[in-house]
Amino acid sequence: MKLFSTTYCVMVVGVAAALAGCGRPAPPTFRLDMTKIVANQIIPKHQQAIADILGAMFGTPDEPYALPETGLDVRKLKMAAGPVWSDQVGGKHGLYRRQCAHCHGINGDGRGPTAMILNPYPRDYRSGVFKFKTTYNPNQPSDDDLRTILHNGIPGTAMPSFAVYPPDDVDALQEYVKYLSMRGQMENSLINYVRDELNFNPVTGEGDDLDPAKNEDQRKAIKSMLTDDVVAGWKAANENVIRPEDSKLPSADRPAKEIAASAEKGRELFYGTKANCLKCHGPTALGDGQQDDYDNWSKATKKFEDETTALSASIKTLMESMASQQGDELEASRNDLKAKRKELAEREEVIAQLLPPRNAIPRNLREGVFRGGRRPWDIFHRVNQGIAGTPMPGTGPASAGAQGTLSEEEMWNIVDYVRSVAFEPASRPQMKPIEMDAIVK
Amino acid sequence: MNRFWSLVFLMVPVCGVATFVVAPYFQIWFPHDISEHGRVIDQLFMFILWLTGIIFIVTEGALVYFTWKYDGRTNPEPAKFSHGSHTLEVVWTILPAVTLLFIAIYQMNAWADAKMRKPNVPITAEVTGRQFNWDVRYPGPDGELYTPDDIIRTDGQVHLPANEEVLLVIKAADVLHSFFLPNIRMKQDVVPGMEQYMWFKARETGEFDIVCAELCGWGHYKMKGRVTFESREDFDKWLKQKSDEQNAMTIAQTKAE
Repeated sequence: MKLFSTTYCVMVVGVAAALAGCGRPAPPTFRLDMTKIVANQIIPKHQQAIADILGAMFGTPDEPYALPETGLDVRKLKMAAGPVWSDQVGGKHGLYRRQCAHCHGINGDGRGPTAMILNPYPRDYRSGVFKFKTTYNPNQPSDDDLRTILHNGIPGTAMPSFAVYPPDDVDALQEYVKYLSMRGQMENSLINYVRDELNFNPVTGEGDDLDPAKNEDQRKAIKSMLTDDVVAGWKAANENVIRPEDSKLPSADRPAKEIAASAEKGRELFYGTKANCLKCHGPTALGDGQQDDYDNWSKATKKFEDETTALSASIKTLMESMASQQGDELEASRNDLKAKRKELAEREEVIAQLLPPRNAIPRNLREGVFRGGRRPWDIFHRVNQGIAGTPMPGTGPASAGAQGTLSEEEMWNIVDYVRSVAFEPASRPQMKPIEMDAIVK
Repeated sequence: MNRFWSLVFLMVPVCGVATFVVAPYFQIWFPHDISEHGRVIDQLFMFILWLTGIIFIVTEGALVYFTWKYDGRTNPEPAKFSHGSHTLEVVWTILPAVTLLFIAIYQMNAWADAKMRKPNVPITAEVTGRQFNWDVRYPGPDGELYTPDDIIRTDGQVHLPANEEVLLVIKAADVLHSFFLPNIRMKQDVVPGMEQYMWFKARETGEFDIVCAELCGWGHYKMKGRVTFESREDFDKWLKQKSDEQNAMTIAQTKAE
């Protein structure tokens, strides 16, 4: 019975392999932003302390936690966090990992496994900067802004709409995005605190203790970081929503002639030097103006890469100068070289993980695809406060009570022009797409 | 060969047939058909299912019978091989050929109705698949696409009128997608750069699923939407409401939908 014994062996091996594969993988953890850690040469001891403090304040991806000061709803966070599973009545759990993590990453760093193949890259929430919002440029987005994005998606990008999902799920995701953002901002504040306030030596790895449980001053400092640097911005967001003046507001049912006249004024502003839209959006509004700038996220990567190149060059110069050195001087250079080489190795490791920086390409307005929404209201906010984190500047006041470049009336003219530009004859495609009818006939 | 194996092989037709018999009771059969032409599609499916089902049972039965009868232990005689039979080969070539030809001709009208006889009605909406969303553009009051009064929705929810012929233009912005309305029994692949049409008539109102039926990338699983069929008055009312929302000069709340 050779056949039977072979079959039996195959079965045994198969079952064993299946059992071996059933072990639960280790739960994911939040990782520190190594770009900032390495750039500031934070020592391992402090890295561990920062991770511990963040862990105590925000929990883990499986067990999120939020201090009452943050104003976050832990129940919602738990709904969105954790591994993906469905309960017996069909309730979905682990929403963030089901829907978002493959692009936005477990850390909310916009570096999930599929991020590399996207253009634009998914948002890194950790800086707390969001593009499409109704609040002032440096402010955090309001709850409604985040909800609008989840509801409508972002046309022209890989961000889909979640409008077909139960409202509670979407609310939970929105809360979780805020949570990841606050955690990232807190991490950034802690790194800055260590850099500015503590003594440490990157070569020996020795430095002051960072232990808020024992040190009263540090505890106070961290607490104020959370409330002042992080939470305050989010709490104020709903109050920082910009409301255009009612008296300047064009009426919704204007006659076409009036819109055309307003759009004509908008066109003059668009191509004029005062608003200077053409600098980036180009003399044809095709987005073919200045195209070599970067957004904040790519800029940070670019800076890190440039610093690394400079470091690599300085190692080369140092080695050349060492050839003519002797005694103590040579010894000092040797130590310097060692430290620089260590930093270079660390930096190169980090760069391998980063998304290559990409230029921020101004929008081609003739396509009529508006990422932040196509309502006059949406476009007004883009023109008024610009797009945070990108080279798109605002032409309205930068904060409440400040003076803007353009008046609200002028901004509404630009809105009318931008809304009409996709329908100009020049915007229509030269060639119609191939029609199935023509092929069948 | 052991007789045990013939029993194992017997489980293939038994389980195979049982799956189809119990499927409707576990709600894993066809979704509710709300379209006018869906009956024809379902009948074609059932016809082919019965045809292949009967042939499946007969061939599996023969296989089990032979493995049972000629198992190695009770049949010490060595196997005999023949060099084939011309007559048999002609028969089993012609029979399937005739069957396939029959199916090809039998379904022709249904195919033509679904894919070739485009009705002469105005376009109801344009649906564009992009990674990973269905964006919809309604022509607005002037009935023409790509004019300033278009109504554009990107929330993956399509509204369409019921009880009248609907004509959709289907496009893809990036890669291959397939716009699939299971309850309408309609599926249309889309190729970037091509315009495809899809037409149907829904008999019922209500909310149904839209799915992407062509693996279009890593987010394919989340590319689902909802289609709402409603009466003409409700549809027009909805269009007006969305048009107003689109041109609104103040914030429209998105939460209370």
